[in-house]
Amino acid sequence: MIHDAQMDYYGTRLATCSSDRSVKIFDVRNGGQILIADLRGHEGPVWQVAWAHPMYGNILASCSYDRKVIIWKEENGTWEKTYEYTGHDSSVNSVCWAPHDYGLILACGSSDGAISLLSYTGDGQWEVKKISNAHTIGCNAVSWAPAVVPGSLIEQPSGQKPNYIKRFASGGCDNLVKIWKEEDGQWKEEQKLEAHSDWVRDVAWAPSIGLPTSTIASCSQDGRVFIWTCDDASGNSWSPKLLHKFNDVVWHVSWSITANILAVSGGDNKVSTAACHVFGRAMMRQALVTFV
Amino acid sequence: MKLKEIERTAVQAWSPANHHPIYLATGTSAQQLDASFSTNATLEIFEVDFRDPSLDMKQKGTLPASNRFHKLIWGNFGNGSPESSGVIIGGGDNGVLTMYSVHHILVSKSEPVIGQTEKHSGPVRALDFNPFQSNLLASGANDSEIFIWDLNNFSVPMTPGAKSQPHEDISVVSWNRQVQHILSSAHPSGKAVVWDLRKNEPIIKVSDHSNRMHCSGMAWHPEVATQLVLSSEDDRLPVIQIWDLRFATSPLSQLEGHTRGVLSVSWCQADPELLLSSAKDNRILCWNPSMGEVVYELPIRSQWCFDVQWCPRNPSVFSAATFDGWINVYSVMGGNLEAQQKTQADKISSSFNNLDPFGTGQILPPLQVPEQVAQTTLIPPLKKPPKWIRRPVGVSFAFGGKLISFGLTKAPGQQMQQTYPHQVFISQVTTETEFLLRSRELQMALQSGNLLDYCQGKIQTAKLPFDENLWNFLKVNLEQESRTKLLKLLGYSKEDLQKKITSCLSNGIPDKQPLPEADETNAAQPDQLLINSSDDVAAVSSSSAFFDNLIPQNMSTLEIPVTEDTDGLISQALLLGNFEAAVELCMRAERFADAIILAIAGGENLLKETQKRYFAKHKTKLSLLLSSVVQQNWQDIVCTCDLQSWKEALAILLTYSKHEDYTHLCDMLGARLESEGDAALSNDACLCYISSGNVERLVECWVKNHETSSPLALHSLQMNQGL
Repeated sequence: MIHDAQMDYYGTRLATCSSDRSVKIFDVRNGGQILIADLRGHEGPVWQVAWAHPMYGNILASCSYDRKVIIWKEENGTWEKTYEYTGHDSSVNSVCWAPHDYGLILACGSSDGAISLLSYTGDGQWEVKKISNAHTIGCNAVSWAPAVVPGSLIEQPSGQKPNYIKRFASGGCDNLVKIWKEEDGQWKEEQKLEAHSDWVRDVAWAPSIGLPTSTIASCSQDGRVFIWTCDDASGNSWSPKLLHKFNDVVWHVSWSITANILAVSGGDNKVSTAACHVFGRAMMRQALVTFV
Repeated sequence: MKLKEIERTAVQAWSPANHHPIYLATGTSAQQLDASFSTNATLEIFEVDFRDPSLDMKQKGTLPASNRFHKLIWGNFGNGSPESSGVIIGGGDNGVLTMYSVHHILVSKSEPVIGQTEKHSGPVRALDFNPFQSNLLASGANDSEIFIWDLNNFSVPMTPGAKSQPHEDISVVSWNRQVQHILSSAHPSGKAVVWDLRKNEPIIKVSDHSNRMHCSGMAWHPEVATQLVLSSEDDRLPVIQIWDLRFATSPLSQLEGHTRGVLSVSWCQADPELLLSSAKDNRILCWNPSMGEVVYELPIRSQWCFDVQWCPRNPSVFSAATFDGWINVYSVMGGNLEAQQKTQADKISSSFNNLDPFGTGQILPPLQVPEQVAQTTLIPPLKKPPKWIRRPVGVSFAFGGKLISFGLTKAPGQQMQQTYPHQVFISQVTTETEFLLRSRELQMALQSGNLLDYCQGKIQTAKLPFDENLWNFLKVNLEQESRTKLLKLLGYSKEDLQKKITSCLSNGIPDKQPLPEADETNAAQPDQLLINSSDDVAAVSSSSAFFDNLIPQNMSTLEIPVTEDTDGLISQALLLGNFEAAVELCMRAERFADAIILAIAGGENLLKETQKRYFAKHKTKLSLLLSSVVQQNWQDIVCTCDLQSWKEALAILLTYSKHEDYTHLCDMLGARLESEGDAALSNDACLCYISSGNVERLVECWVKNHETSSPLALHSLQMNQGL
């Protein structure tokens, strides 16, 4: 059973991962599909894959039920394991690369409730920071905020390098969405967003073009999809808006590159996309694809 | 991983799956006594809040009960009304069955007991709600008594059939999870009876003939309607048997792993491959019944756990009640146990307050609690990932508006097992289909090169006049002779203009004398109409530069009048490069200055014509001279000038005339002077002849005027001859 499929930055390669413990990479240019690599290394079903930004080369991260996170790299046309992280006590459910401006940082959320952050410090070395007990019974999803200072589209850029505040959102089995902020090298919980009545299955932070609004989408086992918007740049007041209540568990949400379409996939065998305006007003446009 | 714990000697019940937030109800257990030997009974409701990382559960409601409980269950009955949270049914001693309203317990306003019966003859140990009809409840007690209660009518129960022989206690009743009228009951003698409520009689009796089973627990398969498990409490056969009713003479398989009798089982409703069991060997095991293997093991420290239950709402959580008076909530998703040991040590230390009991004035070191289990107990998680963690469907966006999706296929009909396809779909998201359609058309047109038709098509479908203009312009641009056609589009076509001008001229300002030259120019105009546009273009560009230079510095905005009066017509003619017409109009309007200026720009011929006409119109003394000079018409001057001003005429000849003409013209002047003038002027004629170099005439003239021949004069003649 396939658990995840992601295209790389340019849309030329597709990585898929499945219960058969493998990660497969296909070349999908011009509508073709050529299997480039079949990566083995996990001892359990692989839950998610994530492509890093191409400026670092061809790097793919995968996380699996066997508590491992493996980072694969393509060297001279062959894919190889460059790093394996085994610091979790339970299934690692989600991996997400940070925006490339922050460097090569990977966030991993696990069922033991902890979130680890792996940062590449150079020369094949990775530094690990762990947030223990981020979500009590397990963390299901992590998603980074875009590396744009909110409001930079409207205010004049000052010309000096803006100092980014690294933020990411995580969703867990305690029905919460939490926002984490890095302060002085330590990660602190900035916000707790409560609206779901069952496990939060996925969170996705919308890409930003510099407008002062930040938007997060979260979906849950209870069938609800919420859009959280924060209008001020300091990120303190988040207000939820229910996008839709589906009949079955919603597994995954994903924003389009221009952040005006949200794709929602749920257990009632339908893939729906909804068009969302940047300023928080959402309209539903139903069921593009139905699986038969 | 232990999540929560409370210290209660109690039986427990989870809130149903659709109830949020998650509650755990506990009722003082009838079969146990705690250390204080109290027989007080309380029913309590705790909130199991996973957002709170501490181990305690908050008590939400409490109620003193009249008797202690053997079994407690929580049902959905009455959940239609918004304020109700279901009912709790407690089975107690002496056949007492009490129904409590949960909402009233939580709010503690009114009396929470909404029903009580004592129909049973002994302690009610078995209770179960029908999963399909929330008002149906089954209860079992001594003497093989099974009653079916309708909660709407709590006083009169039904029986599922005749009591099974021999009479014995019922340890468990359970409704089938797939078929709503099937009920089963388990007896301590090791048999299970399956009842059909429609027929009102038992349909099958299932028992292991070795007769060593003491049924302590029973559960139906959540998805397969004909399978159930029975667990045995007997230490000699501590197994869990899986039976399939389609073949009811011997069990399908046996799960052997416990070393001592199994006390309770619980089947996870969210994932049928997880079956929990607790036994007298102090262990809680989680099995995969289909494979028959243990997937998870949770060691408990000291006491037997007599009741395990999966949480209906949160599928990775289960609760275990142990004989040492604790109810613990665990999660199967791994994690470690060390947190629990630490708090124990802390609790003991803090109650002694680090005081010095011996009065030595020294602070005691922190208490070390001997650990029965290794410090870092890492319980490996379930071997196989549970169903609720496996994501079956997903979608993500990619660059270029592509959508990657994968998912389940819809299971046709009654097929239980969903087939998992190995396909990923890549689709293109088009939000603006109209836009795409148009761009595709454009692309086709570009490829075929057939742009004119494309533009034509656009013109026809254009809704706004602006759009139409736009497309017309584009189309014309692509054609040959684009410039003339563009002009036409603008509304300035040469032919139209010509018509306008002729009509204006014929009707308009009548001029004084239709001069022959004017007619010529009029006749010449149709020819000039056929002048190639490129000439006009050149003229336009040069004239525009010319006009640029004419504009003074601080002129106001240039208005180009396009009205039908003379000004307008003139400017229209200029726009089209039709200088002749413009000049004509100017002349008609007696704007001679404009006419001349335009004529200069219009070319050599036009200038000459205009000059002629101008001079024809103006007849002053000076104008004649002007016209002659400008037109270089010396002959006229010579022939028509006043003889008194012969010197001036000669001066003009000297200044302007070319060498060839000069002699001839001088002669003419001289001839005139001679013939028309008097004697004084005849002498002057000689001067003319001298300047023209015409000797014969000079001589003639001189002889005429001077009779005497003098050698001086002859001498001068000879000199002239020599010249």
